[in-house]
Amino acid sequence: MTVSHARVLGLTVLVLALIAVPYALPALGANFWVNIIAEILIWSLLAASVNLLLGYLGLLSFGQSLYFGFGMYGVALSINAWDVGFWSALAIGMAAASVMALIAGVLAVRLTWHYFAIITVVFSLIFYFAAMSMKWLTGGDDGVSFTPPPVMNLGGYKLLLTDPTAQYYVILGIVAGCFALMALIVNSPLGLSFKAIRENDRRAALIGINVYRTRLIAFVLAGALAGVSGALFAFFGRYASASYMFYHVSGEAVVWAIVGGASSLLGPLFGAGALIIFRELVSNAWEHYLIAVGVITILVVMFAPRGIAGSWNDLLHKAFMRRSQGADPNKPAAVIEEPR
Amino acid sequence: MTGHAGKGPRMTGRITRRSFLNTALAGGAAYVTLARDMSAFAQAGPIIIGHHCELTGGFASWGYWHNKCALAATKLINEGGGIGGRKLELVTEDTESHPATGVRKLRSLVQRNNASFVTGSVHSGVMLASIPVATELKTVYFSTGEATEATSDKGTRYSFRTGTDTYGLAAAGAPWAYANLGKRWTIISPDYAWGHSHYKEHKAIIERLGGKVNDPIFVPLDAKDLVPYLSKIPQDTEVLFSVFFGALSVAFYTQAKSMGLEKTMKMYSVSGTIEAIAPADLKGAAEGVYIVENFPRMVKYKDDAFHRQFIKLIGTDDVDGRETDSNRVNAKSHSWQSYENLFALKKAIEASGWKTKKDDKAVIEALEGLQMENSIGFPQGSKILRKEDHSGMIDCYISRVENNELHVKKKVTKEELMAQLPPRVDLSKEAL
Repeated sequence: MTVSHARVLGLTVLVLALIAVPYALPALGANFWVNIIAEILIWSLLAASVNLLLGYLGLLSFGQSLYFGFGMYGVALSINAWDVGFWSALAIGMAAASVMALIAGVLAVRLTWHYFAIITVVFSLIFYFAAMSMKWLTGGDDGVSFTPPPVMNLGGYKLLLTDPTAQYYVILGIVAGCFALMALIVNSPLGLSFKAIRENDRRAALIGINVYRTRLIAFVLAGALAGVSGALFAFFGRYASASYMFYHVSGEAVVWAIVGGASSLLGPLFGAGALIIFRELVSNAWEHYLIAVGVITILVVMFAPRGIAGSWNDLLHKAFMRRSQGADPNKPAAVIEEPR
Repeated sequence: MTGHAGKGPRMTGRITRRSFLNTALAGGAAYVTLARDMSAFAQAGPIIIGHHCELTGGFASWGYWHNKCALAATKLINEGGGIGGRKLELVTEDTESHPATGVRKLRSLVQRNNASFVTGSVHSGVMLASIPVATELKTVYFSTGEATEATSDKGTRYSFRTGTDTYGLAAAGAPWAYANLGKRWTIISPDYAWGHSHYKEHKAIIERLGGKVNDPIFVPLDAKDLVPYLSKIPQDTEVLFSVFFGALSVAFYTQAKSMGLEKTMKMYSVSGTIEAIAPADLKGAAEGVYIVENFPRMVKYKDDAFHRQFIKLIGTDDVDGRETDSNRVNAKSHSWQSYENLFALKKAIEASGWKTKKDDKAVIEALEGLQMENSIGFPQGSKILRKEDHSGMIDCYISRVENNELHVKKKVTKEELMAQLPPRVDLSKEAL
């Protein structure tokens, strides 16, 4: 077995486990955890939007909550105002977030490093305070609640989010689709351009890559991912609130991406999963559990900077390299992961 | 944070063969004894009721008392034989005074902790976000906050409230305040559901009576300095109606006093503005303010054995509602609901013969129109949980801060209140 075989096997197990969740967990008397896994899937998309910028372009954004909030309100307001269906509301949420990301990105991607991080926070704060003060539209801190429309209406049969199993599979399907799309993008020539810019933007420009345009495309894609995440979270909670546009929500997504492993496609899923499960287990006994999350993040940055996914990959490489070297000590180890 | 009332400490320490045998023998003997003595109290298992409570965040100073009241009621109910012979197990989850966290914790109460009923949040944003979820989870949810929407246009067959809402408080206090304090009003309140709801309800009554209400002044929840907002109050204001909580209340009273507002206008508030605060702690800043209370702070204004026993159980004095072994002051006009809601559920469960979630319809029907008599289970006083809008019809009290004490000036009886308060919805007609 090679590293790629092991990865395919691991991914298959993960997908099968996620598919089994709505049946396996209730069978164990853990219905509540179906919702927690659904929440992890949703938040992992927000962390993936951070990862797309941080892991593939080297841009640290603390403003993804803005697009998350636009996704939420796109859903809530379109359902309340126009009584649109599920898919239309989802599309409106994603479109609203993408347009906002385009507007912010036109200015933001001209900057890099801490200047980029600061401008993303500033955008997030401006719209957070605007949303909080536009109570007539956004409901401010109280938010806006709504009744989600059916996901599908075939003849007399309605697929409703009030059915926890249906809700879970709808979320899983959309999140899986987004991750698949992201995999296609990062492995496409566009994705290679992202990595080239991350490694050295001047050299990338010299070989003909339009650095500004490529960064803007990535920024809008990341905004769209955050928007889908926000839209799904609104459907999940039947609720949208301006409080989700605050930059600390972005900060959590950054932590999930780092702990999970930035520049790894599924790292954000592992990071969000590990820390949300940790929250659910520890916050019941200790209300200041965020202190422990901070310590975990510091430890990961110091001792496992490539996060959970990176450490898992390193483990696989070591295991298979040892095996292949054991079989033929003279054979050099293959380069099985592209260097950062 | 989740708490299970009544659970003991965990055993720790090394286990040796001898200690294991000793423990096993002692445990076996205890099991035989207990099994013989256990009545129906254990046979059907406990009834789990969730408490959706603000233990941290902006409403923590109120949540402390809601938690204390719910725990006291649980203890009293269990000492009296439980509910229908079954032990009451109270499970508490902290909403962190945040609507989204509150929704997550409500799911946790129902789906993770198997709570059959929930006595809920005092935070208007949390309770309004929670009602649709509680309805979806088909779980009875008692709001303890005041936003009227919880038992009107956003209410459902599953949402109840034993206390008053902004609609009820306006009906209880505004006509008296209009007649006695002034005709031209300005409201200053936090910029969230509770304040907006009070503005809407009071404006309707004052304008109907022929008064004038100036544009509202809404203050951001995170404001520290209120002077920029206080300076917007029009000079012609006769009654300044303030709705705040916690640190914002302290800031409001002290800064309004330093600007001398009480010299040119009458100060009028609802109990929330002075909840968990003793007027004496404001060093005279609240002197002369009129407050609509749901439960008189001073025991002498509802001087009966049940009220006295209640404050003994909660552990507070009979003037300020201050905790006997700390400086904390009871958020008394609201926290009693977390106590009485458990007794209301006990009454409805026992009357309906509820055994499992399948029997929820019978409990809901028993709650609709439930009569509660002044007793140790209902120390706030006799009340009715009105069938149509699931709202508590209770006695209210208009008090004035004099010599740093809240002295009742007028009692508005529940009958007077009901006459002013026609139901706006009929939730009892909703299908279950």
